[in-house]
Amino acid sequence: MAAGSDVYVLGGYQTDFARNWTKENKHFSALMRESVLGALETCDIAPEEIESAHVGNFAAELYCMQGHLGAFFTEAHPSFSGLPTGRHEAACASGSIAVLAASAEIEAGRYDLQAVVGIEQMKTVAPDVGGSYLGTAAWYEQEAEGVDFPFPTLFGKLGDEYDKRYGLKDEHLAEISRLNYDNAKLNPNAQTRSWYMNKEHALCRTDDNPAVGGRIRIADCSQVTDGAVCVFLASREYAEKYAKGMGLKLEQIPRIKGWGHNTARMRFADKVAESANDEYVLPHVRSTILSAMKRAGIDDVNGIDAIETHDCFTTSEYMAIDHFGITKPGESWKAVDEGWLEIDGKHPINPSGGLIGAGHPVGATGTRQLLDCYKQVTGTAGDFQVDGAKNCQTLNIGGSGTTSVSFVLGV
Amino acid sequence: MSQTPQSAADVRRLLASRKIEKVVVLGANGTMGYGSAALFTQAVPQVTFLARTKAKAEEGLGAAVKQVRSPTVASRARVGSYQDDLEAAVAGADLIFEALTEDFDVKKEMFDKVESCRSDDSIIATVTSGLSINSLCEGRNDSFRRNFLGLHFFNPPNVIVGTELIAGADTDAELLDFIEAFSRVRLGREMIRTADTPAFAGNRVGFKVLNEAAQLAEELGPVLVDRLIGPYTGRALTPLATIDLVGWDIHRAIVDNVYEKTSDEAHETNKLPAYMDRLMEKGVLGNKTGRGFFYKDDDKKQHVLDPKTGDYSPVADVKLPDLSYIDDVATLYKEGRYEEGMQIFLGAEGDEAALARKVVAGYISYAFHRVGEVTETIDGIDRIMGMGFNWAPPSVLVDTMGGAAAAVEMISKTGVDVPKFLEDAAKSGKPERFFNHRRINIGKFFVAG
Repeated sequence: MAAGSDVYVLGGYQTDFARNWTKENKHFSALMRESVLGALETCDIAPEEIESAHVGNFAAELYCMQGHLGAFFTEAHPSFSGLPTGRHEAACASGSIAVLAASAEIEAGRYDLQAVVGIEQMKTVAPDVGGSYLGTAAWYEQEAEGVDFPFPTLFGKLGDEYDKRYGLKDEHLAEISRLNYDNAKLNPNAQTRSWYMNKEHALCRTDDNPAVGGRIRIADCSQVTDGAVCVFLASREYAEKYAKGMGLKLEQIPRIKGWGHNTARMRFADKVAESANDEYVLPHVRSTILSAMKRAGIDDVNGIDAIETHDCFTTSEYMAIDHFGITKPGESWKAVDEGWLEIDGKHPINPSGGLIGAGHPVGATGTRQLLDCYKQVTGTAGDFQVDGAKNCQTLNIGGSGTTSVSFVLGV
Repeated sequence: MSQTPQSAADVRRLLASRKIEKVVVLGANGTMGYGSAALFTQAVPQVTFLARTKAKAEEGLGAAVKQVRSPTVASRARVGSYQDDLEAAVAGADLIFEALTEDFDVKKEMFDKVESCRSDDSIIATVTSGLSINSLCEGRNDSFRRNFLGLHFFNPPNVIVGTELIAGADTDAELLDFIEAFSRVRLGREMIRTADTPAFAGNRVGFKVLNEAAQLAEELGPVLVDRLIGPYTGRALTPLATIDLVGWDIHRAIVDNVYEKTSDEAHETNKLPAYMDRLMEKGVLGNKTGRGFFYKDDDKKQHVLDPKTGDYSPVADVKLPDLSYIDDVATLYKEGRYEEGMQIFLGAEGDEAALARKVVAGYISYAFHRVGEVTETIDGIDRIMGMGFNWAPPSVLVDTMGGAAAAVEMISKTGVDVPKFLEDAAKSGKPERFFNHRRINIGKFFVAG
């Protein structure tokens, strides 16, 4: 296994995920521009310093009738004209794949300072149309065609699989939903921060919280979101210079200490069949998490102060709990019952509110998770700060547990 | 009025310092009553809806459930009447929230009852938007005055998060810190502390602009006015459509109150146009009566009022002068080029563009002139305009124009009073950003349209 990386994160900027850019009558390029210019200003970096850019996006061709997104980076500032840029796609893991590509280029010594933008504009179409677009992250013809909401259905099956192997109670899923919504109230960029939500609502089984796919109800789902997140990655050399300029020590600049990346078979049924004799339902996800920890030199989840995980549905967070090793396989409910996942608990998960509370602009989620970890380890997360966080880990998943990427970011 | 940034741990300690587990809402059948009560049910286990009759309270609960679309409102709610239930409910309440009609004597009479049966450490909050917090608690006992405050939600509270917190002279400072943290963290509010001045901060500044638009409509007609002071000037909803939405009677109550109780440098812009008074007698009250500056007929065709005659004609028939600069601004906003769009606006030729600049200058000037009077710094006015009205905050406009010097130049050209604060900032020559909340995206205020 390759050693931990020497790639530093200098910070970044997230757009307000509550915004509806279609209602503002804005083009995709405005979303890109606000995130990039916001990041430059927040991090006090001159645009001329940027050497290369990577854009993570899932499906702008469908949502916005627009491809060639790497090129749109150059529209954000006149000095970007001529920069090497590109776009990366791996469904909901697109943002993390863009980070992986950028960090590989830094480690290869090609560039010292890179911009990574995760971006998705999704409120351009009606929910059922959007649901069908999202279905292209599965094997469309076999798993999504003709299904109203393919992904809730697939992640409902993940819940069913847990139920079959270990037993699963809806109240634990409701509690996961409640916690994400509660944390989102602390996050000024979270989409749902002013929505009406509490545990009773998450548990209610009426038309106010309808089923959308199998056991998955509206309160179990992440959101349809417009959003972009830009982060800057730097080499050690650049980070040293940057730290000096900011009056900091290099050790105070967060570093991507470890990464993990696996891709499982496309169809959910094949994944489950493969793991029939495994104690973990999605062993490739487990492997991604462990690789990132190992590369970071961290023994287990006790060395992680907070987690930003991919709760596209409550069942995916339920899966993440045991896959991170917070509990034994199949015992995720214990962590929920014991309050370990709360911001001031033993293993805080999604202090930002996650995909359910903060929102899920598909291609931006991986970069959003990384930026929220940056905020945690630099003590700048405001109301959703986990006290004394030094090492935080992400888990970003594309498809039905298909592409998994995890980063350990720490100081 | 000071607000110091607190760490997350401090906020958690503050939130743990006292409990709000039982809330009583008085006037729970009114719009602000049920809207606020619904909001409380999100974070409070027991909320009692009280009204003159139990049936009225039940109506309020029904409206609350409908507003936030959650049956959990009902599971946390109790209903009752003043006559049968007030004493017991108030005695056991941690927070008594008053949302009665905006009538001093009605509120006073209710507070007499509340004072006689509340527990000493209960909090009493009023949602008043027009009455003085100090007069409302005048003559009450010490514990009442220490625990009394204004908590001004905007309508509808489930959508608009900007909230004003107003202390009386004797309100306990720690209580204010607690209420601010509770409202922000548990209720998702953007909290702004204001002085106990007429219409507080948001309505004082906002309705000045709305009323000025109504004044201009008499000569220019509503269509041109709403186009000139439209989305490209930093707002999602145009001013006259806003007055139709809030209701002409509410608009009158707010501006009359300000006109009567203040005498500021822009006094006459707060005078209600006579035609509005006349038309209100004929039942023109905005959307709620189906007739305002605008209405849509059964075929969804828009009609517009002629303020001089009271007649309506199709919006499609209204001839407008060349306003192509507005389209040019919108095109730039569409791509997120807000500074460039603003420059087009500042440089646009013609009487219409000049008039639009005068209204925008008037807004900035009026807001900066209110610093020290309604809030300690411009920040409070900025946030309530942004999060209460969904308008570009005055400081955001100044920043987007290019800073204090550019704003001073723009304002002085319109003949509006230049605020000393901006003049000093321009003279200092230091490049300075006035709006410094990175969590608040300024781009959202510049709607491309």
